[in-house]
Amino acid sequence: MPPARGRSPRLTDRRLAVLFIAPALLLLLAMSVFPLLWALYLSFTDYSATRGGPAAFVWFGNYTAILTSAQVHQRALTTLIYVVGAVGLQTVLGFTIAYLISRRTRGRGLLTTLFLVPMMLSPVVVGLFWRFMLDAQFGVVNSLLGSLGLEPVEWLTRQRTALISLIVVDTWQWTPFIMLIALAGLTAVPRYLYEAASIDRASEWFRFRTITLPLVWPLLLIAVLFRAIEAFRLFDLVYILTSGGPGVSTETLSFHVYKVAFLGFNTGTASAYGILMVLVVIVLTQLYLRYLNKLKED
Amino acid sequence: MRHPKRTTGRKIRLATAALLLVATTMAACGDDGGDGARTGAPKAPATIPELSADPLTLSFVWFEWPPAKALETFANEEYKKVRPNATIKVNTVPNANWHDAMFTQFAARKTDFDIAILDSQHIGEAVTNGNILDLTDFVKNNIEVEAYDPYLLAAYGQFPQAETGRRDENASLYGLPLLGDTWTMIYRKDLIGDQPPQTWDEMISAAEKCQTENPGVSGLAFHQANGSDAAAVTYNTVNGVYGGNLWDAKAKKIEGVLNDPAGQEAMDVLVKKMKPLTAKGSGNWFIDEVNAAVAQGKACIAFNWIAASGGLLDPEQSTLGKSREQILDKLGFATLPKQKTDLVPLGGMGMHVSAYSPAANQAEALNFMKWFEQADIQKKWAAAGGVPSRTDAIQSPEFLNAGPFNKVYADSVPRMRDMWNVPEYARLVDIENTNVNAALNGAKEPKQALDDIAKEQQAVLDSSGRKGGGGL
Repeated sequence: MPPARGRSPRLTDRRLAVLFIAPALLLLLAMSVFPLLWALYLSFTDYSATRGGPAAFVWFGNYTAILTSAQVHQRALTTLIYVVGAVGLQTVLGFTIAYLISRRTRGRGLLTTLFLVPMMLSPVVVGLFWRFMLDAQFGVVNSLLGSLGLEPVEWLTRQRTALISLIVVDTWQWTPFIMLIALAGLTAVPRYLYEAASIDRASEWFRFRTITLPLVWPLLLIAVLFRAIEAFRLFDLVYILTSGGPGVSTETLSFHVYKVAFLGFNTGTASAYGILMVLVVIVLTQLYLRYLNKLKED
Repeated sequence: MRHPKRTTGRKIRLATAALLLVATTMAACGDDGGDGARTGAPKAPATIPELSADPLTLSFVWFEWPPAKALETFANEEYKKVRPNATIKVNTVPNANWHDAMFTQFAARKTDFDIAILDSQHIGEAVTNGNILDLTDFVKNNIEVEAYDPYLLAAYGQFPQAETGRRDENASLYGLPLLGDTWTMIYRKDLIGDQPPQTWDEMISAAEKCQTENPGVSGLAFHQANGSDAAAVTYNTVNGVYGGNLWDAKAKKIEGVLNDPAGQEAMDVLVKKMKPLTAKGSGNWFIDEVNAAVAQGKACIAFNWIAASGGLLDPEQSTLGKSREQILDKLGFATLPKQKTDLVPLGGMGMHVSAYSPAANQAEALNFMKWFEQADIQKKWAAAGGVPSRTDAIQSPEFLNAGPFNKVYADSVPRMRDMWNVPEYARLVDIENTNVNAALNGAKEPKQALDDIAKEQQAVLDSSGRKGGGGL
């Protein structure tokens, strides 16, 4: 067999590497970097996608207006309550379910698969069937309450219950995500640590507090980070379940950006709004990651 | 010396990437500049250009509701008789996405539809942005304008907006009527009697009495949702009946006009007298939910758009009877009660030709519109379930006998009033929807909600010279 032909001297390892990653980089440039830079440019203008015409620079006018707008402050507060409520509830429930599953030896796979089903569904589908279930007149939830002799509740049309309903539906769908990551962390805890603790006659609570939680905590925090970013961007459930109502009491920041962008086609303002949301996520993520790194070092 | 060489190569690659980015940006800017230079609507030819002999699909965009299906079936059956090579396709989107679905395509300067079915209030936005054709010359040459009630012709085509009840013959036309509509009062004859209430106060009293006497049946059912124009139309209707005004169109003034004593009285009637007579949790009801309540016998009196009421007579969708006749023994349809005025809301939509449609499709669209507006076709459209706008078709037996609510429409035509038809419509209606919905669901006091609507809407109208933050 003749020896394989040598590679062309022009095709160095470095060039080959560039050649391989170039398609992915170009795609990233076209689909992510360019739109982001374009949105950044538009955010300093009064451009409107439907009105067209040249975009006039307003410099930081859009940013100032957004940061000083009472409407935006109200949506930010709604989003904050939603993120804290939903992610907090999901973390507690997800970790609890994962902990209980991790203690089982039989049927663990089946249970995990069953718990993951809600996460596989489209948020629009989830929103639609929860909208029917929470309907005040013919929904199954009020029907259950009625059979227990309780008064029906206006789940989606009252200020407090509407936001709680959103948190509950999001928790129903995304608790499995936290559970999955927590379960991965729990199963990775070395068994010998528990064995050593048993020899020392450590209590269940002591073992949980000093072995389980510290070892799972960093992984759990990453899951919380992902969920918090997702919850911060919430749009679809609001759109389907409450349309931001009653009034604007369940309008999140993303839903408000949508209205600014598509009701009046104020593309410049919407771009600045989007950029500010990205900045908030980046800053908070950086702080969070620093805390995580510090935790690892400790 | 490897190091300097590598640095040079990296610089070249960085420079190339930066150039690529700048070139792409310039390309995007350049494209925008070309189209963006267009101001106002381009003109349609006065006469229909030569039509294509090749197979052609004429696409409409509308929202999902029974008239959309009726239009597609009717047009394919009838229009094919004169244009066998043409196929009509009515694409539909959910009602809440209707405006966005059309205007995001307009924004892209490329549409997958040839005829946009715009709400009357969308015309200002589409005309100002140059999204639809100016049909003024085409209408002069091809349409019998005197065959229409002037206000109907104006409402579905004229911009700037006509005064209520009139048409400005010197103004431009950008559309032609497709489907007329207004609200009908639907009442339970078996529960409140054969005679419908004549005044708004009588209507509220009848609903209250009916609700008390029939546990499980709510006195009233009407649109309250904060999507589309649901809650806004409800308030505007009560506002009109109680002698209020939405705005002073000439002075572009809303604050102090909408929230004057008449407007406040209307809001109080809606929130304090009408809302307590509705079903619990009905604060997000729109067309379908109101129809469902009526069909299930859960409402004494309801208000809904006529064009969406056909399903109420379908025994398969109703618990009120096993045949149309049995249902009609229980359900009555009447024009809205009067109070201080007899105004009713103008609904319905017109046909508008997309400025971005290919020339052959634009020609076919114009031909379709000319064909559709003929007297005999309008009567056939009426018989097929449509609501025509030509006076001869409205008064024809084909229309009046097609449904029990059609006479309601015919009697309501001289009483109609529309909302604002301005480029800022989408924002104005959202402000009103969210605030009325908040008042109806206890999230705001009625007076506060009305004052907020007036203040926020005025700010939208006054914001044209604002530097930054438009849309907030």
